[in-house]
Amino acid sequence: MKHVISVSLGTSDRDHEASMTILGHEVLVSRFGSDGNLKRAQAMIQEWDGRVDAIGLGGIDRYLVIKDQRFEIQDAVALAASASTTPVVDGSGIKDTLERRTIERLHRDGVIHGGQSVLMVSAMDRFGMAEAFGMLGYRLIAGDLIFASRINYPIRSVEELEELARKLLPELTRLPFEQLYPVGDAQRDGRDPRFTHYFSDADIIAGDFHYIRRYMPDSLPGKIIITNTTTRQDTERLRKAGVSTLVTTTPVLGSRSFGANVMEAALVAVTGVLPNTPDWAKVVEASQLTGTRLEFSSV
Amino acid sequence: MTLMQALSQFCNECNSNARLREMNRDWNRRVLLNPDNVDSPHYLISENGEVSAGQGSVDNPDLVIEASDTILTSVFSGRMTPTEPYNAGDLLVRGHQDDIMRLDILTLLIWGD
Repeated sequence: MKHVISVSLGTSDRDHEASMTILGHEVLVSRFGSDGNLKRAQAMIQEWDGRVDAIGLGGIDRYLVIKDQRFEIQDAVALAASASTTPVVDGSGIKDTLERRTIERLHRDGVIHGGQSVLMVSAMDRFGMAEAFGMLGYRLIAGDLIFASRINYPIRSVEELEELARKLLPELTRLPFEQLYPVGDAQRDGRDPRFTHYFSDADIIAGDFHYIRRYMPDSLPGKIIITNTTTRQDTERLRKAGVSTLVTTTPVLGSRSFGANVMEAALVAVTGVLPNTPDWAKVVEASQLTGTRLEFSSV
Repeated sequence: MTLMQALSQFCNECNSNARLREMNRDWNRRVLLNPDNVDSPHYLISENGEVSAGQGSVDNPDLVIEASDTILTSVFSGRMTPTEPYNAGDLLVRGHQDDIMRLDILTLLIWGD
């Protein structure tokens, strides 16, 4: 059996273990949260280096892929450098392929419809998904500035998202990661109602679930949510809010959908193909990895 | 270029840019810039989307930025990004993290890329 671990900057409260079958191979997945402590995360990676088949970085991206350009978050570079033997991946290769295809499939299957309005709570970390929405004719609002920095400015197109990313990311990726994204206990910060109207105005809400959880209103009647890393409690909360459909972009294992980094680590462990190589897209395609779709009845 | 000239340029860039005005429409803050090598404080005031600057101190600042006047002038004229002196410990900022990040983002949107 292959064994992969996910070392996350998120809370250790969400630690768990599960197994999955991928391309006919069983893979054991163990998740370890470092509660936002970079040094502890580095120590965990060093401890498991050479003892597992791949390591995923959770709660942090290493690469932000904007079209043909990749920006590297420096704290993630340091984390990855803690391993000298085992490959370390961050999920960006899955996001750029699987999430894009998830949107195309939902559109093809008629679950979502061109012309609907989409709120992506963050899109610089999921440019493939944003681009898919844009190309299929959805009205996109990207909330990167709103939810990451509390700047009440909706990014209104993929083109504007790309322009802002190219201006901001070369510098912002050099900042301590905790300034860019909630880590550890900050992920459990209370609800923030300042921007709920962006959720109310959208037909589809997509992206990082920590942002969705923190900023969503109590009521989201008829909305479609496209996200991952949801737990059973998260699913229940969305059902109570009146959400019509919850789509996870990664498979659900043991009632929780795993992060993209976990799926990427599992694929690397099984195939030996790394995300930055030409065969990666074929590997993702062959894996037939899909998320799940949960339809809620009216409450 | 003096610090006051750099701040005036920064204000002009903010106020003539529709996107930045929209971003700042609800950001009402007082920013004190304290050069740590000369006794010559300056300030920025953002109110209803309009940013203004002046020489002297300001009461009850929301944000205090300390660095040499050379670094402050370089940052607010776009010759240096804030990240470089910040990461090196040559630029100290006291205030709410969101306000610090917003100033970073404003400077990058004016002079980034």
